[in-house]
Amino acid sequence: MPEIASQPVVPAPTPVPAKKGPRGQVILYATWCKGCRICVEFCPPKVLAMDPGEDHPRVVLPDKCTACHFCDTHCPDLAIVVKKLD
Amino acid sequence: MDDHILEAHGLELDEGQLPPENWFERSETLQKLRKNKKFPTIWCSGCGIGVVMGALIRAIDHLGLKNDDVALVAGIGCTARMPIYLDFNTLHTTHGRALAFATGLKIARPDMKVIAIMGDGDALAIGGNHFIHAARRNIGITALVVNNAIYGMTGGQYSPTTPLNGRATTAPYGNIEPPFPVCDLAVAAGASYVARSTVYHALELDKFLSEAIAKDGFSVVEAVSYCHTTYGRLNKLGTAADMMRALKDTSISQTAYNNLSPEAKAANTKIVRGNFVNIDRPQYTTAYGNLITRVQGGGK
Amino acid sequence: MTIKLMQGNEAIGWGAIAAGCRFYAGYPITPSTEVAEILSRELPKVGGKFIQMEDEIASMAAIIGASVGGLKSMTATSGPGFSLMQENIGYAAMAEIPCVVVDVQRLGPSTGQPTAASQGDVMQARWGTHGDHPIIALAPTSVRQSFDLTVRAFELSEKYRTPVILLTDEIVGHMREPVELPDFATIHPAEYRVTKKDGEYIPFRNEPGDVPPLANFGVGYRYHITGLFHDPQGFSTQRLDEIDPWIERVNTKLEKHLDEIIGLEEDLQPGAKTAILSYGASARTARHAMKLARACGQKVDLVTLLTVWPFPEAQVEALGERVDRIVVPEMNLGQLAYEVERMVGRKKVRRVTRANGEMVTPQMVLDAMEN
Repeated sequence: MPEIASQPVVPAPTPVPAKKGPRGQVILYATWCKGCRICVEFCPPKVLAMDPGEDHPRVVLPDKCTACHFCDTHCPDLAIVVKKLD
Repeated sequence: MDDHILEAHGLELDEGQLPPENWFERSETLQKLRKNKKFPTIWCSGCGIGVVMGALIRAIDHLGLKNDDVALVAGIGCTARMPIYLDFNTLHTTHGRALAFATGLKIARPDMKVIAIMGDGDALAIGGNHFIHAARRNIGITALVVNNAIYGMTGGQYSPTTPLNGRATTAPYGNIEPPFPVCDLAVAAGASYVARSTVYHALELDKFLSEAIAKDGFSVVEAVSYCHTTYGRLNKLGTAADMMRALKDTSISQTAYNNLSPEAKAANTKIVRGNFVNIDRPQYTTAYGNLITRVQGGGK
Repeated sequence: MTIKLMQGNEAIGWGAIAAGCRFYAGYPITPSTEVAEILSRELPKVGGKFIQMEDEIASMAAIIGASVGGLKSMTATSGPGFSLMQENIGYAAMAEIPCVVVDVQRLGPSTGQPTAASQGDVMQARWGTHGDHPIIALAPTSVRQSFDLTVRAFELSEKYRTPVILLTDEIVGHMREPVELPDFATIHPAEYRVTKKDGEYIPFRNEPGDVPPLANFGVGYRYHITGLFHDPQGFSTQRLDEIDPWIERVNTKLEKHLDEIIGLEEDLQPGAKTAILSYGASARTARHAMKLARACGQKVDLVTLLTVWPFPEAQVEALGERVDRIVVPEMNLGQLAYEVERMVGRKKVRRVTRANGEMVTPQMVLDAMEN
């Protein structure tokens, strides 16, 4: 694996009650992100946010992720990955 | 595919292809990326070409191809910078000539999957002649044409797909040239697989690219994108995200288009997404192989 | 093989087959078309591939693509097509891809006279493509030499990873002479490529004078080839400490092997103070003039260049030291004579030029030897 990606910025895992909670875990690779905001603007439940002046998004609502995979299939830099949770 | 995924991606049933389960383990993605290349990529923040690159490697992964068996042949331009990031046999050629180089490579190595990666200007302006002849021959090459309707690398000059009246650095008063219909051209010239989607509909791109690469014949995938840095700025079309949203709003699926009344069809200005042609025709390298067999068997 | 009456262009086709050429892409153009027609017939017989591309630009591109894919490749054209090929010839020089380009020169400029001969592409062969780059150009004077120099062209292009131009002309290309070609089994195709994965591979390593071997695509080294300035791995670069070594290595890679690359024939008479120096079809005129002069008791050296580029500087300089006058007949307005003048001084050189499609006559050469 290339050394290029930095440590991923991963939200702390939240306890998952049966049949509720996030269906996906959002993992961001900050050094590859160019801050284009596509993931922020298109995430249906608004899991991600990025304030003006910030370099890359933050996962603000990790519980809401439905693993729709819009962000990671539309990130031009492959800087965000959604891992499906069981 | 789950309904919530379909809805999030703006796709109808069967219009997309979900990546395999383990795709989203980071290591799978990285297997297709060059380990000795620096990331992030050189493309502008938000550029659709990066989205197409993701679709391409997901499609290659979906087909289970070995990296050694894949060759990417690119022309010149922003889109043509794609192969350098990918761990395949990569040939970065001269402007407009990717399909001609790819033709030689495919004839020498008919067993390899040869994918030509071109922008709209590269494929259809300077490369137009090679485009129609590759289609006519039906040679087993996949032409991935990323259409952002501009010459991006050189700063925003108009291309054969720039919309009428659009502004560009060489069309400061608005473009007076009508654009090419890329897919119609490919169909008329004889391509055996022709499809179009947009970078908003990435999962549909995955599907079309998988089908195109698997196709034994000349296959064309037009990936409609945007250049927010040049064309977007000159025509006040907003950010990358804005232009991606516009692709969603200004496109229509082939199914929906076919259901329009004749009047609505004639008045349609939306980008039609779909697979327009998928036929079986003799593929060039197979036909030449048969010729060799015939000649060596004493035939004429 | 038995003795056959054969055309120069046909001999080129056989030379390619003998040398292991297994891919031809070209576009018809007088007076080169016979090369294409013969190879379209003969290549499939040996499992090789022929395609007629949509234009010369595509032809040059296709032979580079096929070469990268592992096949020895060739195209043939004439002046107008040669002009179209220049950009991709530069690509082959930059990316160091072996290929052979046959230019059967005809009268130009522009459409000129397709069925008349010239030697008007000498400078174009050297500098037709932009930027500083090395090139090899060979010029046959007979049908047999058309065969031999085609074989040599493949050897040199594979060994030095460079496009090689076979700079022939309509006279040598269309003439027929009795020839006995050698048994092809005695001709061993040049094998300098990496055809199997074994250890590390640096596609463009920059040891001075080095010619790193070419690994065919698909062998297992998934590397990048580009026409941009590149580092030893093949990736594009703008660093001077990567560009400068490349310029040095590639632009001197031929200079360091001139013994092998330069070919010429010398027929020298001790005490001669005049020399005739020529190449291609004009060398036949030169030889005839030499015979006439010697028959009258005049001493004269005859030098025939088989390698036009790199220009045989050392040999021509040495000739200039031996003789007082070098007569240079050629079917252009002095393109090669420039080079001779550069080596020996303008005073010593007599140009005998003809750029209207007619051969220089032996009488014109004899006149230049006297006056």
